[in-house]
Amino acid sequence: MCRLKFDLSILAKHIPFLLEGAWLTLQACTLAVIGSLVLGLAVGAMRTSASPLLNRLAAVYVDIFRNIPFIVQLFFFYFGLPEIGIYIDAFTTGVVALSVAGGAFTSDVIRSGILAIDPGIIEAAQVSGLRKSTIFRKIILPIALRASVRPLGSVFINLILTSSILSTITLNELTGSAKIVASNTFRPFEVYFVLLVAYAALTYAVSIIIGMLHRYLNRNQSEGAV
Amino acid sequence: MRYGDFTPFDIVLLLQGLGVSLALFVSTTLIGLVIGTIWAVIRFYRVPVLTQIVTFVAELLKNSPVLVQLFLVFFGLPAFFKINVTPTEAAVITLSGNSAAFIYVIAVSAIESVGKDQLEAARVFGLTRWQILRRVIAPQAAAFAIGPLTGLLVNQLQVTSLISVIGVMDLTKVGNILNLRTLKPFIVWTAVGALYYLTAKLVAYAGGRFEKRLRAHTAWRGL
Repeated sequence: MCRLKFDLSILAKHIPFLLEGAWLTLQACTLAVIGSLVLGLAVGAMRTSASPLLNRLAAVYVDIFRNIPFIVQLFFFYFGLPEIGIYIDAFTTGVVALSVAGGAFTSDVIRSGILAIDPGIIEAAQVSGLRKSTIFRKIILPIALRASVRPLGSVFINLILTSSILSTITLNELTGSAKIVASNTFRPFEVYFVLLVAYAALTYAVSIIIGMLHRYLNRNQSEGAV
Repeated sequence: MRYGDFTPFDIVLLLQGLGVSLALFVSTTLIGLVIGTIWAVIRFYRVPVLTQIVTFVAELLKNSPVLVQLFLVFFGLPAFFKINVTPTEAAVITLSGNSAAFIYVIAVSAIESVGKDQLEAARVFGLTRWQILRRVIAPQAAAFAIGPLTGLLVNQLQVTSLISVIGVMDLTKVGNILNLRTLKPFIVWTAVGALYYLTAKLVAYAGGRFEKRLRAHTAWRGL
């Protein structure tokens, strides 16, 4: 063994550059979480609607985007969109692809949250003469979302991990900038090890926040209730 | 014929890529199953130091992007330990480790699903530790685990697409090459996506069939 030393001090001067990448990751993930939540709500509502057509459409969407690798979807958008005359930058493409893929997983979570609601509650609301949209917004959604904070959290943590794939379409987010640092310093082991730990710490922090959010939103629920 | 047109040989190329993807998927799943199960057994017996190490490694592997793990193995290991790692080796190491971490979680909950009273009863009958593991826990845990395992495998199949980034000639890499040559992204990526989709459905179907067989002893047979 000539020189097996694990030296992290080389990375010190590259930290600002890595933080820039982390900032981009954060932006992409935040936008993608919002996008997939909106899409997931819409598709989740379609999947639980009474209309067989909407139901079928939503099921096909979820089936396709859950069973095709994200990188293939990403390349489809990245190379395909310019073909039909839509020219958007890598960042927007990445956010769109993440939202569409995340939307499929989110809608599944929201769907099971909606299906878990006691039908009696909805019947009571119908008997009270509330409009369909009011029932959905004021009764179904709050209950379903509150119950699915934890599974939604794991979907979003997955989204953060998946965002590393955006580095393959020339987007210099955290993984992309680490790649550049690794090839500049010739210390790939240290760089990627730190990156691994950074992602693990990030997702760990997110999971703690989600646990707190879950407890806060369900603070009035008795043990064993939804 | 122009250079950028599709040729019949492209289909062979796609199928070859699918073969590489499938071979890596199957081999890393098998390795991951063995490692993950061993980790779960280590935890089941609460082996002192090893349990903590296993838990920590599994958490780290589950909570970091596969792409970064892949780079660490492919670029990091050779630079640090002065060894040669081919793309295929790096892919096998990374995907096996990643599968093992997720299979470990499933295996732990599967082992815990077997009731304590059964273990006590088995001990009273004088079965050895190995016999309890092999004859009492394993069959029930397997039936319990097969459902989540199928879901995991469908996911892991998609994770294999990442190895194209380090240059393994899998289905995604073939798609990349065809895409750059023909400049017809819609056709190429739709075909690649369809092949992945069909394979995922096949895995899910096989898992469903297998689950039915493992659960046959609990199924209602009629009087």
